[in-house]
Amino acid sequence: MERGEKGTTQNMRSISYSRVADVATAIATVTADPDAAYLAGGTTKVDMLRIYAEPSQRLVDINDLPINHIELQPDGAVRLGALARMNDVAMSPIVAQRYPLLAEALVLGASAQLRNMASMGGNMLQRTRCSYFRDHEAACNKRVPGSGCSALTGVNRGHAVLGTSEHCIAAHPSDAAVALSALDAVIHVQNRDGHHAYAIDDFFLAPEDTPEREHPLQHGDLITAIEIPPLPMARDSLYLKVRDRESYEFALVSVALALRVEGGAVAEVRMALGGVATKPWRARRAEHALLGRPATHEHFLHAAREETADAVPRSMNGFKIELARRTMVRALETVTARGGTP
Amino acid sequence: MTTIPFTEPLGTAGSCAFSVAGTTENAQDIESLAGAAPAGPARIADRVRRSGQVAQVRPADATRPTAQVRVGARPTGLDVRVGGGVGSSPQRPDGRLKVSGEFAFSSDLWADDMLWGATLRSPYPRAKLTGLDLTAAVALPGVYAVLTAQDVPGRRVYGLEHADQPVLAGTEIRYQGEPIAIVAADHPETARRAASLIKADYEVLAPVTDPDAALLPGSDRVHADRPNLLRHVPIRKGDPAATAPVVVTGEYQVGMQDQAFLGPESGLAVPAEDGGVDLYIATQWLHVDQQQVAACLGLPQEKVRLTLAGVGGAFGAREDLSMQVHACLLALRTGRPVKMVYGREESFFGHVHRHPARLRYEHGADRDGRLVYVKASIVLDGGAYASSTGAVVANAATLGIGPYDVPNVVMDAYGLYTNNPPCGAMRGFGAVQACFAYESQMDRLAAAVGLDPVEVRLRNALTTGDRMPTGQLVEGPAPVAELLRLVRERPQAPAGADFPPGGTANTTRGEGVVRGVGYAIGIKNVCFSEGFDDFATARVRLELVGGRPAALVHTAAAEVGQGLVTVQAQIVRTELGVEQVTIAPADTSVGSAGSSSASRQTYMTGGAVRAACLALRARLAARLTALGRAPSTSDNDKKGPFLSAEEWVGALEAGALEETVEWRHRPTHALDPETGQGDAHVQYAFAAHRATVDVDVELGLVKVVEIATAQDVGKAVNPQAVAGQIQGGTAQGLGLALMEEIQVVDGMVRNPSFTDYLLPTIMDMPPMRLDVLELADPHSPYGLRGVGEPPTISSTPAVVAAIRAATGAALTRVPVRPEHIVGA
Ligand SMILES: Cc1cc2nc3c(=O)[nH]c(=O)nc-3n(C[C@H](O)[C@H](O)[C@H](O)COP(=O)(O)OP(=O)(O)OC[C@H]3O[C@@H](n4cnc5c(N)ncnc54)[C@H](O)[C@@H]3O)c2cc1C
Ligand code: SF4
Repeated sequence: MERGEKGTTQNMRSISYSRVADVATAIATVTADPDAAYLAGGTTKVDMLRIYAEPSQRLVDINDLPINHIELQPDGAVRLGALARMNDVAMSPIVAQRYPLLAEALVLGASAQLRNMASMGGNMLQRTRCSYFRDHEAACNKRVPGSGCSALTGVNRGHAVLGTSEHCIAAHPSDAAVALSALDAVIHVQNRDGHHAYAIDDFFLAPEDTPEREHPLQHGDLITAIEIPPLPMARDSLYLKVRDRESYEFALVSVALALRVEGGAVAEVRMALGGVATKPWRARRAEHALLGRPATHEHFLHAAREETADAVPRSMNGFKIELARRTMVRALETVTARGGTP
Repeated sequence: MTTIPFTEPLGTAGSCAFSVAGTTENAQDIESLAGAAPAGPARIADRVRRSGQVAQVRPADATRPTAQVRVGARPTGLDVRVGGGVGSSPQRPDGRLKVSGEFAFSSDLWADDMLWGATLRSPYPRAKLTGLDLTAAVALPGVYAVLTAQDVPGRRVYGLEHADQPVLAGTEIRYQGEPIAIVAADHPETARRAASLIKADYEVLAPVTDPDAALLPGSDRVHADRPNLLRHVPIRKGDPAATAPVVVTGEYQVGMQDQAFLGPESGLAVPAEDGGVDLYIATQWLHVDQQQVAACLGLPQEKVRLTLAGVGGAFGAREDLSMQVHACLLALRTGRPVKMVYGREESFFGHVHRHPARLRYEHGADRDGRLVYVKASIVLDGGAYASSTGAVVANAATLGIGPYDVPNVVMDAYGLYTNNPPCGAMRGFGAVQACFAYESQMDRLAAAVGLDPVEVRLRNALTTGDRMPTGQLVEGPAPVAELLRLVRERPQAPAGADFPPGGTANTTRGEGVVRGVGYAIGIKNVCFSEGFDDFATARVRLELVGGRPAALVHTAAAEVGQGLVTVQAQIVRTELGVEQVTIAPADTSVGSAGSSSASRQTYMTGGAVRAACLALRARLAARLTALGRAPSTSDNDKKGPFLSAEEWVGALEAGALEETVEWRHRPTHALDPETGQGDAHVQYAFAAHRATVDVDVELGLVKVVEIATAQDVGKAVNPQAVAGQIQGGTAQGLGLALMEEIQVVDGMVRNPSFTDYLLPTIMDMPPMRLDVLELADPHSPYGLRGVGEPPTISSTPAVVAAIRAATGAALTRVPVRPEHIVGA
């Protein structure tokens, strides 16, 4: 690249880059510098830097850290290293056999190229597709706390109807996190003080009046692994994703479902929703309404209605409520029809 | 009539007995000089070469017979003596380069000491620029120039039809993304940073965004000195008060589509010693750029020289200027070459889009479904500047009732200024919007009179000898009925297709899925209309190279991916029987070729190349006669002077022969401003589509299972290119039907990225069945008809009609989304 005689390097936005090889150094490096941040696959991070949504930074590349395993634990749980790639996880027989809903959620996300780069840890921390969040001219509480929420009256077709507040209605974009939410996954985090584990439902925060806070991580906290407890009934499970085109597109509505029907009644159920909520949405009301009830269309519909009873539609996204109900019913009927787990 | 069965794309079983497309082993290779280009940092000339602009024919393998066109694909009426002529599909010079990633696009241009340009754009759609402080930008090390409206030395505005668009905004900001200042720096990031350091103060004003409201007398004006109504084209035919027993009405809307070319706006301006500038640029029309750039720079036209750089798609989006004047201004100011390349987001603000439209129709018919009258009002949102809105309005009006014979027509089409993004040329312009509405109406009429949708169209089909609403006689073939029958007769795709709607996403159970079939047919004018002096220039030179005849073709016609370079060589081979044909880079040192738009370039530049060849034939014959050697095979006009090797030497020994021809199509005429009467168009082109869809009616998901299409191309000059145009155009129409829309709210674009502006992927495109008719137009070269636009026009309404058939939903707006089907 040509450089003028005056030189140019000092004019460029200062983003520095370094690579670390072990967890302790990674944590020490990032913790010590308030401007530092981890770089995994970079598929979210680079976008954020490019659109000035996150400040100039010192990027600490963690791709050499030995946390990319996919392991079956002695207790039957499966442990996914934070740096395991979306594609590797989806293709792993350990995951595909035990948790088809997770493998499907991964395969239905992004594109093949992205999935080869993107890590599981990074996936949990991806940022919303709300176009105002990505437009530094627009008012957005998530980007600039207190500036207002442009989406409330703007383009909100893709936005959430569940878990919203008047401060933010951005939909959480991750598919994988929805499946993990149905699976009661645990997020393992390491920092200078030691190790912490978060139940996935506590990890993702609804916006309330602090939409800028999406998770409980402190600066320097490193996700090391995601652990999925054993769940035999998940062997027959489903991730169903409704979107505007056949591939390479985020969900309008998605449903992650594991279901066990016994004697015509719902014996066990786990369900979570994507695309319609501000965080990966565990459908507890629906689960409650389903448990022990006959596995019939009528009851499925009732449960779906229960789940969306408090949904708040905005100017352009009201259709998501009905679509979410239909998608839940479709998922329930599909798994039931397949025979479920005997 | 010949029907050319094409190979089926996407590997599906075809019904054709033989294939034309893709039989490259029979054609001669056209090889780019790229193979010979030196390694290392490419110079401009090499880049131009690698853009496939310089194409050369490799002489045929001597052991093979030369004419190897397969039976059935043999071009009618032409005695092709050398391979790779008209009617065959020789390899494209840019094909291999593009597939292998070696093709040099305009964004790859490079000069050793070049600077990079960047643009500061308005964040607001309507504002007054009250202050501009450049201090911090100028002070940034590495910055060489920061220019504003004051620095434009010549005319401060430009435009295709009206010069109303400022090179850089003065005080009035009229759309989001309007350029305000430009910067040159020694690094692109420095240039962008400097642009962001410019302090602009705005008085933000409420934008005019609703075109219907903009039409009202009390509306704010987008341009203080002009009403918001940019053009109104009325058409009056027959009795305006005609009545009919069956009446169907409808109001339709078309969203704002983007051309979505993959190669963003880019070019390199190099200051010249004579005080002028050389601009290497991806564009559709070099000379109209040259005129506008020279006027804005205050330079005589000859001091602004343009050369076509590798074009990464166009579809109308490169007809208006983007960074042309900016790069030249910066280059002239700094004395250094300046390169500008837009990013994807900036590109969404850097070019015009397809006009969004609101269309209100009333069709009156007798009980047998024969149309008695059509009344229509079409409002097209032109956005902040005129661009080609005038022509778009005229197309919508004159083609607005479709390819039907209707005795009484009251049509009004309006183009408006608003503070929305400027809209202009996009494939099928004007005709696309109207076709969605009139074809939706034809389906409503079919339902109202209890007829099959094809039958109602057949009963009203336009045919040779009918008159358009403008009074223009339809001359030459108008196979509307034929095309409809062809798509109807194609065997239907079997039910239970490979994968159901949303099938890639686990969504589907059989019962919720309903099959629907829809039909549509469209009409488009080819070439420029309304009395425009439409011409193309070609220079063809014949000389001996290594003792063998070689032809050099020089035109300014823009190869935008459609395959024009190949077509020019094909024509020369057919007309002169010369195997070795080189196509020189397109530039402004030869006369204008007109735009690569309006489906006109094979017609126009092809016509000009052919005319130059014919002139050369006469001169060859004269030379041989003077030498006392009657040419052996120049006995009739259809057969070229296919000389023996010895005769070639004899004819060209005395020196090269060169002919430059400015070629025009037959004249067209203006429309009467009150009645819209007039012979405004040169040629009409027709295509029909049948779309078959599976709809998951519960979840609102659509899978287009198959598209059958039939089009009359007059003459398939290059069958493979014809198939490519039909497939690509159909995909673009499918995109408009199902997903493509720039979301604009309060004048602001909300989805300027390819993550949020959805284009169909290979998963969304179905297998296509193609029927291509070759019904010669007596007025055009080889009888050909423009091919590029018709497929885009009727595929949208066909897909929507199919979804309606499956769901019963009204679907009056495109794109159709899940919520429109779910109805929630
Ligand atoms: C065009 C496009 C389409 C997409 N479509 C989908 C989709 O359909 N479904 C879907 O689910 N996702 C989709 N994605 C999102 C994609 O899955 C995420 O970008 C990806 O998972 C992020 O992973 P990464 O490794 O690249 O993270 P990075 O970009 O490297 O990091 C993301 C963030 O996480 C932080 N980080 C990364 N790793 C750690 C760690 N171990 N500990 C602490 N902090 C960490 C980084 O500092 C950064 O802030 C799409 C993305 C794109 C660009
Ligand atoms: S929805 Fe959330 S992210 Fe979007 S504009 Fe509002 S606050 Fe910002």
